[in-house]
Amino acid sequence: MERYLATFGRWLLVPVCLFILGLGLYYLMRILRWDKQQATGLALISPWLFGFIGFTAIPIFYSLYLSFTDFSLFGKEKWVGFGNYIKLFTNDIEFWPSVRITLSYAVFTLPVGVFGSLLVALLINREIRGIRIFRTILYLTAILPDTAVAIIWRQLFNGESGLINFFLSLFGVNKIDWFGNPKYVLPAFVIISVWGIFGTNTIIFLAALKDVSKALYEAAEIDGAGGFKRFIHITIPQISSVILVQVVMSLIGSMQMFTVAQFLRPTTQAGLFMNQLVYTRGFTQLHMGEASAIAWVLFVIILVLTLLVFRTSPAWVHYETEVKDVKGIKNVR
Amino acid sequence: MGNSIAVFQSKRKRRILVDIIVYIVLVSISVIVLIPLFWMISTALKSNADIYAWPPEWIPRPAHWENFRNAWNAMPFNTYLLNSLFIVVLGVVAEIISETVVAYGFARYNFPGKNIIFVILLSTMMLPAHVTLIPTYIIWNRLGLLGEFDPLVLRAWTAWGPFYIFLMRQFFMGVPKELDDAADIDGAPLAQKFLKIMLPQIRPIIIAISIFAFRGYFNEFQGPLIYLSDKQKYTMTLGMYFFMGGVNEAPKWNYLMVIALIITLPSLILYFSAQKYFIEGITFSGIKN
Repeated sequence: MERYLATFGRWLLVPVCLFILGLGLYYLMRILRWDKQQATGLALISPWLFGFIGFTAIPIFYSLYLSFTDFSLFGKEKWVGFGNYIKLFTNDIEFWPSVRITLSYAVFTLPVGVFGSLLVALLINREIRGIRIFRTILYLTAILPDTAVAIIWRQLFNGESGLINFFLSLFGVNKIDWFGNPKYVLPAFVIISVWGIFGTNTIIFLAALKDVSKALYEAAEIDGAGGFKRFIHITIPQISSVILVQVVMSLIGSMQMFTVAQFLRPTTQAGLFMNQLVYTRGFTQLHMGEASAIAWVLFVIILVLTLLVFRTSPAWVHYETEVKDVKGIKNVR
Repeated sequence: MGNSIAVFQSKRKRRILVDIIVYIVLVSISVIVLIPLFWMISTALKSNADIYAWPPEWIPRPAHWENFRNAWNAMPFNTYLLNSLFIVVLGVVAEIISETVVAYGFARYNFPGKNIIFVILLSTMMLPAHVTLIPTYIIWNRLGLLGEFDPLVLRAWTAWGPFYIFLMRQFFMGVPKELDDAADIDGAPLAQKFLKIMLPQIRPIIIAISIFAFRGYFNEFQGPLIYLSDKQKYTMTLGMYFFMGGVNEAPKWNYLMVIALIITLPSLILYFSAQKYFIEGITFSGIKN
């Protein structure tokens, strides 16, 4: 019991501090001639603001600074200029394999994840008998914990007696050492991620589909447009902003692979995902400077890719002038 | 006339055909989704020898129910479960309280810079956690709280779920302004107005977010991996991770699956008992721009 008490005490103290800080901010703004309404608003959001400044804004720059230093958590950080980056790019056997597997994973899972789940959403959008049972089953993949999913798949991919190899053996394929042979590691990860798409992404797409106005389809039908045409000319443009969000969020998510890979433990020859590399360098080898540099490379890659997606989006995203309401969510079950 | 009936009938036939194809595809996908779950339960009940049977056994005979007790006793999972629940309760309570307050501020008050601040808040959703991971770790180290539960729960007070704030703000904005005004006329203080009038209005989203947050804290793996070092303080996920064994060790699959199953249970129970909130929550996330 006593291992909880200290934390619990501090846990009670934090909101008191935040309240006092918020109150202080309120009076400060009042002195600075803000009216009551304005000062209250700022005071109300101040818990987030303080957290943002202390745990996001300052840490971002601190980690950029750390990436130019040699720091082992103990002692003082030593400025090394671009040393960490130069070492990573030119003289680090783990770095490029890590970039490669992280990027290839994102490249393979993104289209399958987004368009696969869109297709599934189209299927369960049909109001046929028993559709709610199918939806309930498909959504299951969204709610299972990553850690349990990883363990199940590690067993399914088991080289000696795994179910996957068993299914393949029915087609005359020899047993594959999925996580022992670097060639098969990436395909295994992609298969697992495909299994996961039936959950979250599908639900979101289904809601978007439900939101598309029925009148548009009826008009198209009267004009004699077939199912495929209607899909291309009505469905896709109407839900394109949701597709954009999904592409960006899936991209960011897949680049940050950590938990599943940590549990699956494939051969290190296949390369660690970049987040795993940050973890091993920083927290098991205590090279905080190097780890920060890797984190920043990952950050820049994600930023560039996200901006690229946004830059190309005017070409294919159809923006509605009026703000859509969210009545679709009532009908997804 | 006869012609149009023929068209109608052929359309009907096509529709039935499409439905049959849809059923076939849906059934196959459902099987693909369910096999891993089935396999988890099946493996959990196997004897050590049955795990490596070839061809694999679908239903273990006999079922080894004693695996449950043995797996649970193989490590101090009682302690781990208690630790996990402790983190969940502290985290969820702090998060819900702070986020409703912050969301209320964003929804109902105007002050200079509000929109910019809100855009910054939303953009933090896209920020990879690893950029701030190391400095955050250093901060907790300076505070002397490494190895404690604190890094996993204290920050919840600072409303650290931008997406949840966004959801609540949307809900607050849907509450009619007249309710506020009526309370203002009555001279109700802010706290009373907030608790008595606003909170009941957004109950559904609070439930949805509590469920999500519960899952988040219970299933969290990386935080405990980095911050907890004392075996007495491990969480369920961390316990399971170390129960898996060393890098080149074959895990005790049946026991491991028992633990995986137990870790899955809270999420499953929540899902089936509050499916409506669950799906509304996820759905909302897609329609955010």
